[in-house]
This record gives sequence, structure tokens and C-alpha cells, in this order.
Amino acid sequence: MTHHAPTVSFTLNGEAKTFVTEPDEKLLALLRREGYRGTKYGCGQGTCGACTVMLDGRAVYACILYAQQVEGREVRTIENVGTLDEPSEFQTELINAGAVQCGYCIPGMVMSATALMENEPTYDDEIAREYMDGNLCRCTGYEKIWVALRKVLDRREAAAAAGQKPDAHPHR
Amino acid sequence: MKLCEFIRPANLAEARDRLRELGQRGMALAGGTALHFMQAPEPVTAVDITRLGLSYIRPEGESFVIGATTPIADIQRYRAPRWAMHEVCRRISTHQIRNVSTIGGNICRVFPWADVPVVLLAMNARMVTYSGKEQEIGADDFFASQPAQRFRDGELLTAVKVPNLRMHHGFGSVKVGRNAAAFSLVTVASVLELENNNIKAARVAAGSAIPFPRRLLDVEAALVGREATAAVFQEAATKAKAAANWRGREGMSADYIQHLAEVSLIDALERAATFARTRDA
Ligand SMILES: Cc1cc2nc3c(=O)[nH]c(=O)nc-3n(C[C@H](O)[C@H](O)[C@H](O)COP(=O)(O)OP(=O)(O)OC[C@H]3O[C@@H](n4cnc5c(N)ncnc54)[C@H](O)[C@@H]3O)c2cc1C
Ligand code: FES
Ligand code: FES
Repeated sequence: MTHHAPTVSFTLNGEAKTFVTEPDEKLLALLRREGYRGTKYGCGQGTCGACTVMLDGRAVYACILYAQQVEGREVRTIENVGTLDEPSEFQTELINAGAVQCGYCIPGMVMSATALMENEPTYDDEIAREYMDGNLCRCTGYEKIWVALRKVLDRREAAAAAGQKPDAHPHR
Repeated sequence: MKLCEFIRPANLAEARDRLRELGQRGMALAGGTALHFMQAPEPVTAVDITRLGLSYIRPEGESFVIGATTPIADIQRYRAPRWAMHEVCRRISTHQIRNVSTIGGNICRVFPWADVPVVLLAMNARMVTYSGKEQEIGADDFFASQPAQRFRDGELLTAVKVPNLRMHHGFGSVKVGRNAAAFSLVTVASVLELENNNIKAARVAAGSAIPFPRRLLDVEAALVGREATAAVFQEAATKAKAAANWRGREGMSADYIQHLAEVSLIDALERAATFARTRDA
């Protein structure tokens, strides 16, 4: 019997893609070997948040998701949110706040914050904490990350109150 | 858990048939968050049950019906008058886990830290299973032993029916962990029915700090027929000692955990009574 490696097809950062994969492969492993290395491997067991991506608009851990689970669905990675040349609003504020030390946790933090900004109509502290509760930072501490996030959220809330429709993708 | 194949059945009957054929070599996959950690002697075929239309929450007659593959996050976000399931779901792990892990995955194979079974025992929920035809099982029977045994032959959970909390019924739960995302040290939940502040009926359950989630019948007995006061709650909570075999955890002694359970019980009972008194809408 010839063994055909199975494939998985899904929308990745807006483009339809098909990848050869093994039934056992995790989405994180697939993304990284395909060059999407902004998504990090931290704990590999669903506790640190370094591997956070968006699946159909929701933040999920790519390290414990089998790649086959995303068949036909929509995946977004950090590469789609901000780049070195064109950082997102939150990434810029993280830099301004000095919130980035080793930077390992940052892509995951940014993905969770993106899920928050795109899914919620308002951003009080409670809802913001809820979206960020699955992302750990081992060096900066959370204060500066929080300050940077709050700045972006406050700005967006003020814009909404002034009747401006906040752009879901201000950087693109 | 190592996977050798991944299949997506088109409907419930096909999922059941494939799982039955595969036996020990197959495993239903919902969120897959527990599968990732499970061990099996040989790689298994995962049967994806998340594309069978089983993700929903709807009021139906005297219950809320929750589809088996509904993510914990959806249960946490759902709101309706006298709905209480969101309380404990908010306390399960992190945002990212809640987005993926399902109610079915939490209760079909019960791990010691599982929070949802404790709530469903207190709520007297009914589980709907499918094996060619549907069957309903009450929480007491469903959680009498490891539910995974029941699902070995391709049977699947399709829904959970949570009874509406009627007038004068109240729910309260407490989960204690080292931090917001940590596994529970103690989880307790209670439903009280009050009549003129007298306790007409009580269901109290606990989990995490004991080998398997269960009702605390001695605590319930100490509540029924009494007035819903702090003193009665305190006295009833002392019955927890004999009602279950409390285990020490994470460097904490069994005595300490039992004390934690008692304090948590008092808190959960107070919340249930407040709910019953004030949320009569
Ligand atoms: C980091 C982390 C922290 C966690 N913290 C908590 C916590 O604090 N509290 C808590 O309660 N839980 C916690 N969990 C557990 C989490 O909620 C479970 O992993 C989850 O409930 C399993 O759901 P799932 O949909 O991913 O199930 P899966 O992993 O897909 O399946 C789990 C088991 O159930 C079976 N199964 C699933 N659905 C059905 C069905 N419909 N019919 C028959 N069998 C079925 C599967 O075959 C498998 O054996 C945590 C998990 C992780 C990874
Ligand atoms: S690498 Fe996925 S949560 Fe840590
Ligand atoms: S900046 Fe190093 S882990 Fe957060």
C-alpha cells in the first residue's frame, strides 16, 4: 500500500493554501516549517501563549491544535498583523513603552490583543484582562505591556465616542 | 496522543460507526486539548466531531440545551435570565483554551481537575447520548463512574440539558486555584431552593480535591428543612469532612484542603441563597 501523506487546506493570512502534513502534526509546527516563524514555541502545552494565532477570528494556541483541525477554516498569524516596516498600533506602543525585552511573548500578546480589538465593541479592563489572560511574559513584567495596550484601547474608545469608526486594520 | 489518521465524518451516524469499527484504535476528537496530553500504547485515528452541528446553546422547554461540541467560551459568553453556567466557565483555564475546549470534552472523560462536572451535578443536568438513537442520562448516573467507559463503543455525547433555575432557586459556585489560569484546588457548586428563606431542597457537589467529582450528601442533609442563614451554612459545611476523602495538593495538607473546601462551600451556599432571593425575574 502506498502511503500518501495527507494534506490540509485552509486560508492563511487571507490566502488559500494547501500543505502536506502528517495526521499528528500540530499547527504550530506546520506554520514554523512553512516559514511563519513569528509564531513562537514556548511551553508546547497550552499555558504560555507564545504560539497564539487566530482561528476564525478567535485567539487559540497553535501548539496543541492538530493542523488537521483547521481544514477549511481561517488562520491569521502575526505576519498578517504587523511587520518590522509596518508595525501595528499596539506594536508601536509596546516599543514606546519599553515593554519588549527578549520579545518572545510579544507576537502572542499582539494576537490576543488583536482578537480583543476585533471582537469586542468596548474595552473595559475586565474584558481586556480576559483576552490577555492566556499570555505570559517572563521578562518585562506585565505593567508596561498593560500600559501600551491601555493606550491603544483608550484611543480607540475615544475615537468611537467621537463617532469615528475604528479601523479594524489601521496598519494596512 | 499520537495520531495515525484524522477523519471527518459527514454526520453523527457515520461518526458512531467509524468509532465503533475502530474500537481502541479510534478516539472522538472535539477541541483536542485533552487528546494532546493523553497517552495511548499505539497511535489512534482521530474522529473529528466538531463539524456535526453540535455547537449551540438554546432554551428548550424547562432547560437550556448545550450542544456537546460547544466551546467553553461560548457558554461563558451566553446570557439569558437565570442562566448561571457562565460563572464557572469563566474560571476555566485561559481565553485561548476556552475558545477551543468543549463542554463534551470536559465531561466525557473526567480528569480530576474538571470543573464542569461539579456544576452539572449541582444543577442536576441531563446528558443526551447517541448510539443509533438518543438516550438521556441524569448527572448522578452519568458521573457515578468515569463516563469515558460509556463511550468506548462509539457512543457519543450530543448535548447537555441544564434545567432552568426557577423562581426561588439559586446557584452558587466557587473555584479556588493558585492563580486565574491554574487548575482548581477545590471546586464546589450548589443549587438551593428556598421557601420563605427555608431550604426546601439542596444539591451540593465538589471536585478537584477529591478523587472524582461527587455530590456531598451529608452537607445537603444538613441544609434541607433549615433556615438559609450563615450559621446553618457553616454547620452544614463541617459535614464535608466526612462526606468525601479530601486529598492534599501541591504541597498543601489534606486538612488544609478540607478547610479550603469548607470555606468555599459556605461562600457557594451564600451565593446560591442570594441568587434565589434576588434574581426572581
Ligand atoms: C492548559 C490547560 C488548562 C486547563 N484547565 C482546566 C481547568 O482549570 N478546569 C477544567 O475544567 N478544565 C481545564 N482544562 C481541561 C480542558 O477544559 C479540557 O482539556 C477540555 O475540556 C477537553 O475538551 P476538548 O473539547 O478539547 O476535548 P478533547 O481533547 O477533544 O476530548 C477529550 C476526551 O473526551 C472525549 N470526547 C470529547 N467529546 C466527546 C463527545 N461528544 N462524546 C464522547 N466522547 C467525547 C474524547 O474522545 C477524549 O477522550 C485545561 C486544559 C488545558 C490544556
Ligand atoms: S507554546 Fe503554545 S501555549 Fe506555550
Ligand atoms: S519580553 Fe521576554 S517573555 Fe515577554
